[in-house]
Amino acid sequence: MTEPHLTPSDTEQYILGALDPERERKLEAHTLVCEACARLLQQEALLEEQLREVASTAPREDNVIRPARWRVARVAALVVGPALAAAAALALMVSHPGVESHPAQEPAVVLTLELPMDLPSTVVACPDLTTQESCTSAAAARGLLVQYPFGMGEVPRYEGSKGIPAGALSSRPASL
Amino acid sequence: MVGAAVQGLPMMGRQREDAEQAAERTQAGEEDLSQKALAGDRRAWDALIARHHRRVVVSLLARGIRVDRAQELAQEAWTRLIQQQQRGLLTELRLPNLAITQAAFLAADDARRSRREAIAGNVEELPERQHPVDPAVSAERRLLSEEQLARAHEALAGCSPSSRNVFLLACDGQELPHAEVAARVGLSVQRVRQILCEVRKKLRTSLEEESHD
Repeated sequence: MTEPHLTPSDTEQYILGALDPERERKLEAHTLVCEACARLLQQEALLEEQLREVASTAPREDNVIRPARWRVARVAALVVGPALAAAAALALMVSHPGVESHPAQEPAVVLTLELPMDLPSTVVACPDLTTQESCTSAAAARGLLVQYPFGMGEVPRYEGSKGIPAGALSSRPASL
Repeated sequence: MVGAAVQGLPMMGRQREDAEQAAERTQAGEEDLSQKALAGDRRAWDALIARHHRRVVVSLLARGIRVDRAQELAQEAWTRLIQQQQRGLLTELRLPNLAITQAAFLAADDARRSRREAIAGNVEELPERQHPVDPAVSAERRLLSEEQLARAHEALAGCSPSSRNVFLLACDGQELPHAEVAARVGLSVQRVRQILCEVRKKLRTSLEEESHD
């Protein structure tokens, strides 16, 4: 038993798999003849198990990413309301031809939205699929706009077939 | 509240794509190996054993089993799993949990047998000589109390976001190799291990606090 006793660092490196095979073999051999070092190794392993429990139960933070620069033609982040309204308008136009009976009113406005030239700092993303829903809710609660990259969001349903609600087609961005 | 989302806009950036692709690759690799192993591919088994063996051994060490016995039991656990697969008894392969469970079962069985033999025969040769801590006792002690968990989570929250990210990637059950973690966060493997040591130190302190109260 000429091997020196193990240090906590040794056992930690062993548990993390950071030792080279030769050092690992010596460490294991030493624990077979040294009860105290065997205990030390077991305690480190126990800590590892506990930390896995900690990690698996750790509350996950919503992964909200705020784009620093967004080059894509400065598209539209601030146009949540108008964009949705445009989608709704088009949907209504398709499914309710009756809307066409009011052509002189607002649909033209929808198609000529004034897109903001600067990306507002209030646009965030929730890319983590596991927390996307809560992230989106949290962002909305903080008054942030959520960019939803897959375009799978639901279009709010506007009331019935009476046409587009007044104010829904404002060319101005929705207020924050 | 997905309805409040902006639709039809392009992806956020390359970083996100890289992370997702890496995650998908790892996941796909693991699933692919599992499927092949379930089909009896020995090389797939070897790859899975190489990936998860240490984790199984560490789980046994944490139960107070000596390292040589832990290695034997881990090997035995893998052998049992392969036998079960060959008999068509395995329908899915969730690793390393399945191997850890199998090894824990073998360890408990081993401890019971040792105790029976010690009581029936040679009293001097107590099983505690071979197993300093009874695995059954250890299993209960392993469960962290709510207070300990809360302290640990608080300590984790006090770490930097990048450190926390590294720790969670390495320990949250995905069983990512450190090299994979390093690739995802854009650090060296050495730096990842350094961060892990730092986080472990903080969490160890937080877990030990309670016992001093």
